Amino acid sequence: MATTVRGALPPVPRPITFRWTSAIPYLVLLAFTLPILVLYGWLLYGSFFPRMEGLKPIGAFTLENWRFLWAPETVDALRFKPPIIPLTINTLIFSLSTSLVVLLISSMAGYALSRIRFPGRRTFLAGVLLLHSFPSVTLLIATFLVLRQLRLYDQLVGVILVKTAFELPFGIWIMKGFFDTVPWDLEMAALVDGAGRLRTWWRVVMPLVKPGLLALGLLSFVSGWNEFLLPFVFMPSGTQQTLSVLIRGLIGEGRFVDYGLVTAVGLYYVAPILILFFFAQDRLMKIYAGGVKG
Amino acid sequence: MRVRLEKLTKRFGTVVAVTALDLEIASGEFVALLGPSGCGKTTTLLMVAGIYRPSEGAIVFGDRRVEHLMPKDRGIGMVFQSYALYPHMTVAENIGFPLDVGRSTSKEEKSRRVREAAALVRVDQLLDRRPAQLSGGQQQRVALARALVKRPDILLLDEPLSNLDARLRHEMRGEIKRLQKEVGITSIFVTHDQLEALTMADRVALMRDGVLQAYAAPGELYARPGNQFVAEFIGTPPMNFFAADIGARNGSVVARTEGIELELAGFRPPAAGAQATIGIRPEHLALVSPGEGDASGEVYVVEPMGREQIVEVRIGERRLRAIAPPGFAGRIGDNVGVRFTRERLHLFDPASGARLA
Repeated sequence: MATTVRGALPPVPRPITFRWTSAIPYLVLLAFTLPILVLYGWLLYGSFFPRMEGLKPIGAFTLENWRFLWAPETVDALRFKPPIIPLTINTLIFSLSTSLVVLLISSMAGYALSRIRFPGRRTFLAGVLLLHSFPSVTLLIATFLVLRQLRLYDQLVGVILVKTAFELPFGIWIMKGFFDTVPWDLEMAALVDGAGRLRTWWRVVMPLVKPGLLALGLLSFVSGWNEFLLPFVFMPSGTQQTLSVLIRGLIGEGRFVDYGLVTAVGLYYVAPILILFFFAQDRLMKIYAGGVKG
Repeated sequence: MRVRLEKLTKRFGTVVAVTALDLEIASGEFVALLGPSGCGKTTTLLMVAGIYRPSEGAIVFGDRRVEHLMPKDRGIGMVFQSYALYPHMTVAENIGFPLDVGRSTSKEEKSRRVREAAALVRVDQLLDRRPAQLSGGQQQRVALARALVKRPDILLLDEPLSNLDARLRHEMRGEIKRLQKEVGITSIFVTHDQLEALTMADRVALMRDGVLQAYAAPGELYARPGNQFVAEFIGTPPMNFFAADIGARNGSVVARTEGIELELAGFRPPAAGAQATIGIRPEHLALVSPGEGDASGEVYVVEPMGREQIVEVRIGERRLRAIAPPGFAGRIGDNVGVRFTRERLHLFDPASGARLA
């Protein structure tokens, strides 16, 4: 027992109650998680060894698979592909633009839907929800026709617009939810304090939904980064391709697949996302702890 | 600045929240909008603030009609029930916000006025804090400073004290009243607490179901309530009411009910054989020895309040509340006499509730 300082509370004795039964949930969870961990482990190993036989790496540790970064011309599978750095930049432009446009439109639409009672509001909300549940594959042909009509087919801008449109229903609903939590009183106060509607929105309401903006921005960035179908279908000529399309190309063409290369490029592809989540996890977790405190 | 509301009406769909409200507030006056919840008092305040647009009627500040103006163009400051401080700004930024968005104020001028307003409500030590780091009373003061920093013509307060604990409420009650007189600003405040209205306001507007019931100085409202609702609503403990038959005896008018007979000297008799609701405040009932007074009953319950005791007396099937001095030693079940202070009786029409005399 530790000596207690006068006036301070005595330390609460920590009960030693470890029982083997308390390990059971962890063991069960581990059993279910293991396949996923194996997946990531295989990816990591595969990129640093010449060959894998099942789950077992063959040969000595090597950086050979990663040479696409510094000597792409020596990699056979990449010979007829666009260089990887411009592809990365394309992917970045694609994801960032999507994310920004989604943020801009969602925050304005969400605000309007949360605050203004206009005719057709409920119908609109229901319609947006319906759009969200539409699989984008079913719209591919129609989207193609529209893009060609607008002369945006085979252009990055076109795909960005399409991706944004598909992301918007989710974004609008999320942002509407966040705006719903901002008390009316704050807006009334801002109006009485002399601000107009736009300034109230920007100076008072937007800062209060920052956690929502952050989360939505991040999620739509990741969604853009992972997007394969839209760039693959709507940018066939290749110069503006994204990384996901490249990886598909590495797996899906020719008789021989260089799995070492595929795993290395795959890791290169997911690395930014992992880093992003590593730094943003606190922010993402705070989504529900945020909001307004009286 | 003088404020005039003319035939002010607000409808939400088919519900009428405020009906043809006429109210005139003199420059520098402190007026309370009082009433139970749902009576339209907050709706009225929000119309004056410019948050709600009136369905009909006029709002006049000075000589200027303002009902079509945005809140920012009305020259008002407002304190909300929730205080509505901006959580992402410091106290200084909160107080300075109205100066940011209004006419361009120089940086020095702005910080001077923020400090001045903060000092006025004694939060000048807290300027770097955020609202979440403040106590309820401090938040209230910051909200006041923010409402006053623009030097508005009119100050609006929506239930300013309802979120404070009892002790702090008492303190802020006095402080807001003092501040209002010091600044000399025309003020309207909304409350459901009659004690707040009586203690703070120069005049009280009592509303029910969107209709103005009375508009008078607190003393007059208390002494001569214009109808039964006003009489019920104003005063704690509340006024006693009982139904009585009005009749004649020996040439004078009397009110009779089970166990009680009161001569109504100086009252003009309503129609013979009429009914009336008699009202009398607890402090106008005196407890006397059994057999004396106007009625006799037994003590039902005694509630000592320190300075006085509230004694409920059962007379027949009816119970009346009286205020007794601390020395009153009656116990539950004791017989006791009750004397009515005649000139303090209130008579109301049982059907309409209107004051008869």
